[in-house]
Amino acid sequence: MAVDESDLPFEHPLYDLMAKMPGLDLATTSVDKLLNWGVRNSLWIFPMATSCCGIEFMAAAASRVDMDRMGTIVRGTPRQSDVMVVAGTITVKMAPRVKRLWDQMPEPKWCVAMGSCAISGDFYRDIYSVIPGIDTVIPVDVYIPGCPPNPEELMGGMLALQEKVALKRAGLRVPPEVRPETAKMIKPRVGRAEDPTREKLIGHHQALQARTLDLTEPADLVEAMTPKAAADGDQEGGA
Amino acid sequence: MTTAERESAFVELLRARFGLAEDAEPPPEGFLLAAEHHFELARTLKQQHGYVQYVSVVASHWPEVPAKGKVEGDPEHYEVATLLRTVGPGSHVARWRVRIEMDGALDSLVPLFAGADWQEREQFDLVGVRFADHPDLRRLMMPEEWVGHPLRKDYAIETGHLPWR
Amino acid sequence: MTLERPDRADPYLDLDEYEPEADLMVLNFGPQHPSTHGVFRVVMYLDGETIVKAVPYAGYLHRGVEKLCEKLTYAQITPIVDKNDYVAPMFNEQAVNMAFEALTGTEVPIRAQYIRTIVGEIQRVASHLLWLGTFAMDLGGAIGGGTSVFMWCFREREMILDLFEHLTGCRFHYNTHTLGGNRHDIPAGWAEKVHATLGHIAQRVDEYEAILDHPIFKARTEGVGVISAQLALDLGLTGPLLRASGVDHDLRRDAPYNIYDQLDVQVMTDTGGDCAARYRVRVREMRESIRIARALVDNVPPGPICGTKPIKLPVQTRVKDGQVYVALETPRGELGTYVIGGGDNRNASPYRLKIRPPSLHALSALPYVLPGHGVSDAVAILGSLDPIMGEADR
Ligand code: SF4
Repeated sequence: MAVDESDLPFEHPLYDLMAKMPGLDLATTSVDKLLNWGVRNSLWIFPMATSCCGIEFMAAAASRVDMDRMGTIVRGTPRQSDVMVVAGTITVKMAPRVKRLWDQMPEPKWCVAMGSCAISGDFYRDIYSVIPGIDTVIPVDVYIPGCPPNPEELMGGMLALQEKVALKRAGLRVPPEVRPETAKMIKPRVGRAEDPTREKLIGHHQALQARTLDLTEPADLVEAMTPKAAADGDQEGGA
Repeated sequence: MTTAERESAFVELLRARFGLAEDAEPPPEGFLLAAEHHFELARTLKQQHGYVQYVSVVASHWPEVPAKGKVEGDPEHYEVATLLRTVGPGSHVARWRVRIEMDGALDSLVPLFAGADWQEREQFDLVGVRFADHPDLRRLMMPEEWVGHPLRKDYAIETGHLPWR
Repeated sequence: MTLERPDRADPYLDLDEYEPEADLMVLNFGPQHPSTHGVFRVVMYLDGETIVKAVPYAGYLHRGVEKLCEKLTYAQITPIVDKNDYVAPMFNEQAVNMAFEALTGTEVPIRAQYIRTIVGEIQRVASHLLWLGTFAMDLGGAIGGGTSVFMWCFREREMILDLFEHLTGCRFHYNTHTLGGNRHDIPAGWAEKVHATLGHIAQRVDEYEAILDHPIFKARTEGVGVISAQLALDLGLTGPLLRASGVDHDLRRDAPYNIYDQLDVQVMTDTGGDCAARYRVRVREMRESIRIARALVDNVPPGPICGTKPIKLPVQTRVKDGQVYVALETPRGELGTYVIGGGDNRNASPYRLKIRPPSLHALSALPYVLPGHGVSDAVAILGSLDPIMGEADR
């Protein structure tokens, strides 16, 4: 998190000069718009394609869907790419490598989680060797659900990312996707193995958040949580 | 030779040389042999009977069954099934099992079949059964520093591994 | 300096004893590399540009499928194993279901066997198409003008996915096989669609062959990565890899399942044992599969498609004990399933389910084959083995 320096005095001789130069403010905003347009339409992808979703990712890059026409060229190296598309299951053995590749990508960078495995671990979630979602390792900007998502859905996700990039660069707030139908969702009845070390309260908290889309912490829950659980809850909520 | 003929020849071989009881019917689980016959059987099959293709090795873990009433108890042990195949028409899979104690080790088939290397490593990694004289018995699937053998029955499926989960 | 290519390199070579003066370079390849087809890592020790020793590491996609299957009932396992070999999911489903049928003694109706054979052969074409596209792309943009072959193969593969979407409703991960038969019957008009699609692809295959009849492609595949027949058998290589080394073995003919005993399957072999031979075998197999599927699709006998009832919600199958091994021929070779009955959920789950992955056997050939080759040949060899990591690591 960057330190907020907006109210600190900042002086530089160049700034005085720039403030006096006629028409410069207009020029910089235009350049900014141009840059914005350029960044938005040349999102180069680094494919973190580990399994089945990787095949659909290839299909999206191939002839029928042809994602390249959005300017999303697939690069084989992290150093030249803007977006990491995590397509597939990430295992405990692979996760440190994903983190390292993510760290090698230059800023600004975005991450797209493609498929249920990258989002939450899918049905491998509770297995000893699989991490429950890539967002426990790196921050994710767009989630594309499906097992696997169609190439068209992947393209929709990339369009959503373009929108997000445009808003962010313009300094606007990105509204979260509102899905009223999630409010009606009930807990699935199929039992699943529980992680014994996980705080029950956190799961409850997350379920409530997902249902109400209310991202503020309910007061009674905060109170009910032990200090340790509260700290964990913050982390989980922020991830 | 057809597959059925090969099957009966295989049973004959087991009866003649590898201590299978004369009247034993082929059980639904496959033949259970003594561990000392394991390597010798594989060599005979490969060199004299044309079972030249290495198929697989399957280890399983059987926890202790306490004696209760009429049911006899059974100590904790492993079972290892080995499969070899003939190539060409009428292909047949020779399959036998051996029983290994928890601290025992089974003769490795690597001197006969190079493909046994990775398969035995995988079974050692996931189930924990040891193979004697294996040239390179390391973990294959799990990271080197992993603790425990996941496919054992006493290993919970949701066992966590920090810091990732 | 070039080392001579040993017929069968020593994978346990002690590097300390290798020419003490030689300045070996260590090159790590993977686990994230576009040409590893997934997540696979090889550490190569190089003397100049030549590989002296290769140490592969697998397991970057170990998802614990075998452990998960021990917790699920027989009917729940099919959609899980779909995700193992994600390039040919039809075969995964069929492999486990054939094993469960052998374990429980369930009969499969003849119509279901026909459907299984047809979808299997069509899936084989799709899998080989994907292999051809990615292999040609690995070998570099010079072949056929950039990524043309990749684009073409995916164009034709999409047509096959359309066929399956028409049949099952899914692009892949079909979940169409079930214990005792199939869940989806052939819809009206599907047979004509199959004829049209496969006829079109048969023409396209000629086109691929024409474009890959190219000096660069030949230079990079011929004589590269030779696997002798003896080594292939010892390693347990199966499928096109074994047949490219000159061993005449195909489970469809030699240990027939489904209705293959009534069919006359041509087994495609080649003698080179190198990457070019593997390419030729796969292209010929594509033609053969197209021929089989087109011959069968008009003659599917009427009848039920599932031996157990009800079809949509299978009953709980309980098996006390017994152990079976069932194998079938996938595009990558012998996919076997070893099941021990009598597990959790009051015997409704297998006690132990082991999948014999042809890809893992194929990858275990690398330390024997790579030494003596250059780094660029390593990419060609790895691609020609056609490994699918989801299946190798499970
Ligand atoms: S979400 Fe489904 S298709 Fe994608 S990697 Fe996971 S199991 Fe495979």
